[in-house]
Amino acid sequence: MSLFGTTSKFGSNGSSVGTFGSAAADHHNPMKDIEVTSSPDDSIGCLSFSPASLPGNFLVAGSWANDVRCWEVQDNGQTVPKAQHIHAGPVLGVCWSDDGSKVFTASCDKTAKMWDLNSNLAIQIAQHDAPIKTVHWIKASNYRCVMTGSWDRTLKFWDTRSSNPVMALQLPERCYCADVVYPMAVVATARRGLIVYQLENQPSEVRRVESSLKFQNRCVAIFKDKHNKPNGFALGSIEGKIAFHYLNVPNSVKDSFTFKCHRSNRANSSGSQDIYAVNGMAFHPIHGTLATVGSDGRFNFWDKDGRAKLKTSEPLDQPISACCFNHNGNIFAYASSYDWSKGHEFYNPKRKNYIFLRNAAEELKPRNGK
Amino acid sequence: MTVCQFFLQGRCRFGDRCWNEHPGARGAGGARPPPASQQLSASNRRGWNASSQRYSNVIQPSSFSRSTPWGGSRGPDQASFGSSTGSGFGAAQRPFASLSSGDQDEQKLLEGIVKDVEVWESSGQWMFSAYSPLKTQPPVAGFTDISPEELRLEYHNFLTSNNLQSYLNSVQQLITQWKNRINQLKTINKSNRVALLPNLNNGVNQAAPALGFGSTQARMFGSSGSSKSVQNFSFKTSPGFAPATSGSPSVFGTLPALGAVPSAGSAVSASTPAFGFGKPQITSAASFSFKTPAASGFGSAGFSAAPTSLAGSPFGAAMALAFGGGTSVAGFGSPGSQSHTAFSKPSNNIFGSSSIPTSLPVSNVISATDKVLFTPKDQLTQEELEQFQSKKFTLGKIPLKPPPVELIHI
Repeated sequence: MSLFGTTSKFGSNGSSVGTFGSAAADHHNPMKDIEVTSSPDDSIGCLSFSPASLPGNFLVAGSWANDVRCWEVQDNGQTVPKAQHIHAGPVLGVCWSDDGSKVFTASCDKTAKMWDLNSNLAIQIAQHDAPIKTVHWIKASNYRCVMTGSWDRTLKFWDTRSSNPVMALQLPERCYCADVVYPMAVVATARRGLIVYQLENQPSEVRRVESSLKFQNRCVAIFKDKHNKPNGFALGSIEGKIAFHYLNVPNSVKDSFTFKCHRSNRANSSGSQDIYAVNGMAFHPIHGTLATVGSDGRFNFWDKDGRAKLKTSEPLDQPISACCFNHNGNIFAYASSYDWSKGHEFYNPKRKNYIFLRNAAEELKPRNGK
Repeated sequence: MTVCQFFLQGRCRFGDRCWNEHPGARGAGGARPPPASQQLSASNRRGWNASSQRYSNVIQPSSFSRSTPWGGSRGPDQASFGSSTGSGFGAAQRPFASLSSGDQDEQKLLEGIVKDVEVWESSGQWMFSAYSPLKTQPPVAGFTDISPEELRLEYHNFLTSNNLQSYLNSVQQLITQWKNRINQLKTINKSNRVALLPNLNNGVNQAAPALGFGSTQARMFGSSGSSKSVQNFSFKTSPGFAPATSGSPSVFGTLPALGAVPSAGSAVSASTPAFGFGKPQITSAASFSFKTPAASGFGSAGFSAAPTSLAGSPFGAAMALAFGGGTSVAGFGSPGSQSHTAFSKPSNNIFGSSSIPTSLPVSNVISATDKVLFTPKDQLTQEELEQFQSKKFTLGKIPLKPPPVELIHI
């Protein structure tokens, strides 16, 4: 995938790029990353890139405007809006199937839908009693299904052809975030719950992990070891802290650690900080380094093995609510939109929401080149 | 994460910067002292850990005669602590080593809570989050876990139903409730730690937290039959409770009102109703705890009376502090006037604290918890009995069992 062009190539697209060039006092894009055209009208809750099986790069984003939009991201950085479909409520989770033909979307309307991109038809495949927060596609050796985690405290697995779940697991609390890297799945719930599942044969709970963090879970991402097997996960909380938990590793307790991030020191008093939530995390598919985005409007790149911070961005003027890498790690997408971290008073429906694309091939190389 | 071995010995060079876990040391009381080799004076130790905080609680049991409370002036006491209690202590007090360290744990825990809470309040962090003082412990009661998305969804729902005002009111109530709880926790120290206990106890009741939003969460309040009784209780104890205005908003609206009552002092009774629903076994505990209006009174009662249902998480800190660690929350009107007897057992704490209405609930609870919190007189040796009866504990003879009920003067 060739490098993205500089922003100047992009300047001619659509009205959304209007003030792009003159970023004088405007901090909506301090990193001068490529802006996606026709971005959603309300906060973006989730982002997902197409898998490797699909040629090219397609990005889908679910937003609080009840829609899911799909763009094709071309090699030169141009983004072409392709399609969208509407839910009855804000969309909180999106996920691609492994062959890249379908997109699964989970919404506050308590349903999850399967959107066939070729035919642009969306059918409902899941139903919960409360908004569905996460949706993931599981491809196992002997089954394929969609996993949905909801605020009704259940984790359900759906064969897309049937309206009944093939399996439903009880969660201790509402599902806040989840990640799946076959054969491991991790679900983080309210009240600091953390459950690890194994997905071989059929999903089953492996264990409940004690969260290293003191506050509410916000996002979770599984990482892999050198052999591309999932061996642990990173957990982000509202407290500007991330905890790495290693599983299935001899010294798992010893190796697990936490670190602070997305905090800012105040100029006046030393020691007191502004603490921001970590809204999203994603591991680079090739390098295994971690990108995190927070309510402070920054994104950070980290090398967990070298325990080093690779990069911190300049703060955007809005929180960054979601992030995602494309399948080969060349593109890092992050969404700048209000995440409700300060309540309704700071919500401005007229504010533009952006999705930015950044070239991620170089900046995420691990420090030691492991 | 791994526990720092150096920190446990009191000699971690990195202090705050250390990658490893310093149990309870985030601004809290510093390391547990090395068991027998306390040759380092306190100041020396401080020098080593420039960036870590107070290395206060060096050794406690020796401080029987000291009347200053833990929470207070620790600075000037530090040097004397370190040196006076130094080496002579280790051997002689071996039997109490676990007790003293438990006491320290608890002190650290409390300090940790205070510090965390202060940071939480000042940092602009998301308010509606569960909080655990130590990662291994369950969330402290009184805090609801609401994710920003849930709150936002409520906003949108209320917006579409043109009922924004009730949303705003509800949010305001939640905020007030949170602030009250934060203030409570900020002033927590040994003497009012009891306020934490029953709240921890009722932590389990928080399974269905304040999201009485909308219809889907209606179960919180009215749908499960068992909740009715709890509801009644809660209504009684929270005079400020505003009856429902309309449909779903009212469900939500009620919760914070209940939650806001903690400021009135009956911390537990207020927080539990809001959260006690949805889980059948909880209501038994909740209703049990409601019998006694006293906040702390049923802390312990709750423990013993409904051990199974509450046996889960909420105990976490409470148990560790009150029972498991065999520790002490000093300063509770323990026998004699010492506020720090390392051995004021949980019973003393719970009942001695000023925030507890003593008469009725105490007697209720006592009978229920006799075995756990108090030793019947006949199980005490003569020596122990004497110790309890004397004004001060004598070093070397401090009983390891809780005092008998009869000797407790509240």
